Amino acid sequence: MRLDIRYTTRFDYDAPVAESQNELRACPASDDRQALLHYNVTTSPRSRVAWYSDHWGTRVDTFGIRQPHGSLEVVAEATVETWPQALITAAPTRAMLEDADFRDGHLEFLSPSLHVEPGPDVVAAAQQAAEVAGDDVIGAALAVHRTVSSALTYAPGETYVGVGVDEVFGCGRGVCQDFAHLAVAMYRSLGIPARYVSGFLYAADDATGAEVVGDEVEVQTHAWVEVAIPTGDPRRGRGATWLALDPTNRLEVGEQHVTIGRGRDYDDVAPFRGVFSGRSDHELSVSVGMRRLAVEPTDEPAGRSAVRQQEKVQQRQAQQQ
Amino acid sequence: MLARLAENLFWAGRYLERAEDTTRMVDVTYHTLLESPASEATGSWEQLLEVLHLREAYGDGPIDPARVVRLLVLDRDQAGSITASIEAARENIRSVRELVSSELWESVNDLHLALGRRDLRRDLADQPYELFGHIRRSCMTIYGTASETMPRDDGWRFMALGRVLERAEMTCRLLDVRFSQLERLAGPSDRLGALRTDEDGSVEVARGPDRADFHAWIAVLKSASAFEAYRRRYRSSMDPADVVEFLLLAPDLPRSVVFCLGTAQQLLEDLSDGRPSRAVRRVGRCRASLQYRDVGELFEVGLHEFLAQVQERINDIASDAADEFFRQHPSGALHAIATS
Amino acid sequence: MGDLFSGYEDGGFFDEAFEPSGAVRPHYEAVVARLRGFSPDDLDRRERIRDQLFRSQGITFTVYGDVAAGSGRPEDAGVERTFPMDLLPRVIPASEWEVIERGVAQRVTALNRFLEDLYVGEQAAIHDRVVPRWLVQTAEGFRREAFGIPVPHAARCLVSGVDLVRDGDGTYVVLEDNLRNPSGISYVLENRAAMTRVLPHAFASQRVRPVDHYGPMLLRALREVAPPAAGEQPRAVVLTPGAHNSAYFEHAFLARQMGIELVEGRDLVVDEHVVYLRSTKGLQRVDVIYRRIDDEFLDPVVFRPDSALGVPGLLSAARAGNVTLANAVGNGVADDKAVYAFVPDLIRFYLGEEPILPNVETYLLWDAEQRAEVLDRLGELVVKPVAASGGYGMLIGPTASDEEVARFRERITADPRGYIAQEVIALSRHPTLIGDRIEGRHVDLRPFAIAGESVEVVPGGLTRVALQRGSLIVNSSQGGGSKDTWVLDDEGAGIDAPAATDDPAEVA
Repeated sequence: MRLDIRYTTRFDYDAPVAESQNELRACPASDDRQALLHYNVTTSPRSRVAWYSDHWGTRVDTFGIRQPHGSLEVVAEATVETWPQALITAAPTRAMLEDADFRDGHLEFLSPSLHVEPGPDVVAAAQQAAEVAGDDVIGAALAVHRTVSSALTYAPGETYVGVGVDEVFGCGRGVCQDFAHLAVAMYRSLGIPARYVSGFLYAADDATGAEVVGDEVEVQTHAWVEVAIPTGDPRRGRGATWLALDPTNRLEVGEQHVTIGRGRDYDDVAPFRGVFSGRSDHELSVSVGMRRLAVEPTDEPAGRSAVRQQEKVQQRQAQQQ
Repeated sequence: MLARLAENLFWAGRYLERAEDTTRMVDVTYHTLLESPASEATGSWEQLLEVLHLREAYGDGPIDPARVVRLLVLDRDQAGSITASIEAARENIRSVRELVSSELWESVNDLHLALGRRDLRRDLADQPYELFGHIRRSCMTIYGTASETMPRDDGWRFMALGRVLERAEMTCRLLDVRFSQLERLAGPSDRLGALRTDEDGSVEVARGPDRADFHAWIAVLKSASAFEAYRRRYRSSMDPADVVEFLLLAPDLPRSVVFCLGTAQQLLEDLSDGRPSRAVRRVGRCRASLQYRDVGELFEVGLHEFLAQVQERINDIASDAADEFFRQHPSGALHAIATS
Repeated sequence: MGDLFSGYEDGGFFDEAFEPSGAVRPHYEAVVARLRGFSPDDLDRRERIRDQLFRSQGITFTVYGDVAAGSGRPEDAGVERTFPMDLLPRVIPASEWEVIERGVAQRVTALNRFLEDLYVGEQAAIHDRVVPRWLVQTAEGFRREAFGIPVPHAARCLVSGVDLVRDGDGTYVVLEDNLRNPSGISYVLENRAAMTRVLPHAFASQRVRPVDHYGPMLLRALREVAPPAAGEQPRAVVLTPGAHNSAYFEHAFLARQMGIELVEGRDLVVDEHVVYLRSTKGLQRVDVIYRRIDDEFLDPVVFRPDSALGVPGLLSAARAGNVTLANAVGNGVADDKAVYAFVPDLIRFYLGEEPILPNVETYLLWDAEQRAEVLDRLGELVVKPVAASGGYGMLIGPTASDEEVARFRERITADPRGYIAQEVIALSRHPTLIGDRIEGRHVDLRPFAIAGESVEVVPGGLTRVALQRGSLIVNSSQGGGSKDTWVLDDEGAGIDAPAATDDPAEVA
């Protein structure tokens, strides 16, 4: 699926701001499931945007404004080609999770993190969910996925960034971020490495992931999870392949999901971070527009390598700027 | 140089001057009043509080001279008190230590430490003269040290600028309050009443309200370290118009407003590399408007109004200078933003 | 002997100045002879001169509230105190120093290689299992935000302080590394300046290696690590948290020694990924920042958003290669006290050499076996939190109360990664003036290394002395004092004690 994305963040300040410095994490990643074809960030007032890949591999665009401004608008435009997830054919056992090298290689996604510090209730619920799957890791992963989907009701505006997973689990309501944090917490408590994914979802409804009618849609940034499934082959990918699940929509991640970045939790992939000097009052508005492009489906893997090539050229150009 | 440090030096100059001027005023008021009727004391101390913009800080309740002195001298938490000004000067110099000579830092730190070692309450009760003298001399030593050890670079200029602007303002305030007092005590026709001292120093009231005025005018001059110079120039006459002329307009008296503005103008010109910046133009105009004034005219338009105007202009000069040199120094607080 | 040294005992410890027989060690002969000639009045006078020198220089440090409370003297909270310099210098003969110098340089070189590899390299030490991956990832000082930030010449620890102590045999061992913002060099220089005034003739009788080139040395290293794009005369600045920081005196002192600007975060601004000074004449470009602000306060965009000490956008400028930060961000991972245990292996791994200076034997408490043994012998060991410095939060088993030991037992059990345990080192002692007599007190030594294109060690370093009888804690924040530290150009033996006409220089 080829998608155009236009991600706009706008700040309106009550009083002019003299200086601001910011980081944006909004660039679709290139990986086994998607390829970035085009990406561009513009700011108003204008600024020189530089970028780097952070520790987690996410592209970060950084820029500062040094002239007094009453508002700041940042527009990130991307074109991305996505494919469905590859099928995992292996059937690893829970015992493989105990492998010392496997654990060491995924320690960051096994340990508690800023927003993922589950209490006993969450841990117990995870264990209960996984029980039905017995020794099967993938079965356990799917069981937790379903448990989280059922445990929470999608309720925008009722939680805040930084709410604990226990509280979310207790009240049973939240947004995609809360679904993802709860799922990550449960996986880690079972010894299954799990990471938080930030991205976009091309869907008519955030809560259900319903199909889009027409080719343009106004969406929001989205979040889901990836769990590490042991492959038993430590030479590749630290012995894991990743299974991506969207607990908010009780979906396996597919073509309509566009990944930006991955981390231990929200804090590692927050889309926008900044500091400005001046009075504190400001209004924030964020919008994401996605459009499906009509193109001939590309052949795998030839098509994929072609877009990879294109993307490399673009990266090199960007680095030279 | 760093905009922030320039600003700190500017304020170091202001605070040191403020500490010194405040000490002079407290000292002279205190010792003048020793020879005056007790009834005058209350009024004079209240005047001083007003000069220093500390009348409100003193609070309600009757004016108790001992309490006023404690507030003006000892109260570290009261901005404008002598100890607070010295503290502020030291903090400012401490933050610019790498720009000033060690000797300058040592001299201001010595004063700070010396005050810390003394039992100031007892000093005030027993021998305030010695204490005030110590502070006054220390302040002059600090300036002397700065003057002898600092290269005449921008750092020096900012400090000197703070000092002369503060001094010009303090001199205005001093005159203003004395005149308001006189106007309250006597009718307008008496305000030019002259006093004379004989060659041997004894006092003769020539015209004017009473003996208290005489003391008040001597106190004004002494506060500005100008009594002796005044006597040399005007001999035995003690005419308020002369005092005003001397303190406002004397081109050669280091504490006169005109002298201070002249110095400020030179400093600002040097700091602006000869560009006619706003601050330079403003100080030039202000000085010109004073320089050729006839004192009689001032009394016609109303001295209080005039002094208020001059003070306002001095403030404008200071804020023009701040705009030009300290503007890179950000004032706004930093705020973090994040989106979900 | 009716002199200051009468009744002096080594207490069974290794004494820096005296041999077990009571004979003066050759390199101390001159100093001891001079002091023996002093009357109590002579000493008194010299102490007064010293005190006046330090006070009028405003050489103070702030004792933080929580620490003072920990020391049981809450009334001292937040007060400024001077760091007392003992009148007896510590003397190190050339041959001893040569080993220390090589050992410290070796250690710093290896640690720089490790950090470079970790943040911009292949992480070979992790892949080859020299250091456990998890240990690195769980180190408090490990900064994922520092990935990809270049440092010319890999001089990530541009200034380091390696704390050494001597054990019962007099062997120098490394107690800990300080790779983030080691402080104390200003005391080294000020102590020397004071000693040359207080005991001028003592220097004339021996060839003591100078320390006053530290400023130029540091400035040269800072300029060496300037980004390649900086011009011939890169602009370096010292970045301080401000006048209220406990080490502010040192920040100002170093800026003055180097003749460069001392700036606070608010004096700098980032524009298009370039750092500028806010000056009275507009913005001026900055190439190198010797920052004395902790990592997490450096840049509120990346680290603590509530920090007003740092510079928004600073890390993006560093990453763009437009400014170099010294010390580099994330060095704390290498001076973590558990990672410390692996430094000898890192030296072997990166340099292919045997460590010249040994570590103190260290127990890693996540290892169940080691932990059990440590918990058994807790009252005999020293326990330290892995990420702290300044002697904070330590347990000294032999002198601790039962409650303290019990408290540490709980802490270790709850957070085994958070602590390490070490055998108690019978720290060497040094004659120290206590009141009007001389007694032995425990000392350590912090030599300072500077890394630019190469690593250099400043002769001597800071000798800290625990002024309380029997105490092993030498930190300035915990009631320690300091000594001028002399590195001799030779072995110091065979020098006649000069005539005792040693008048202190008049102090202006």
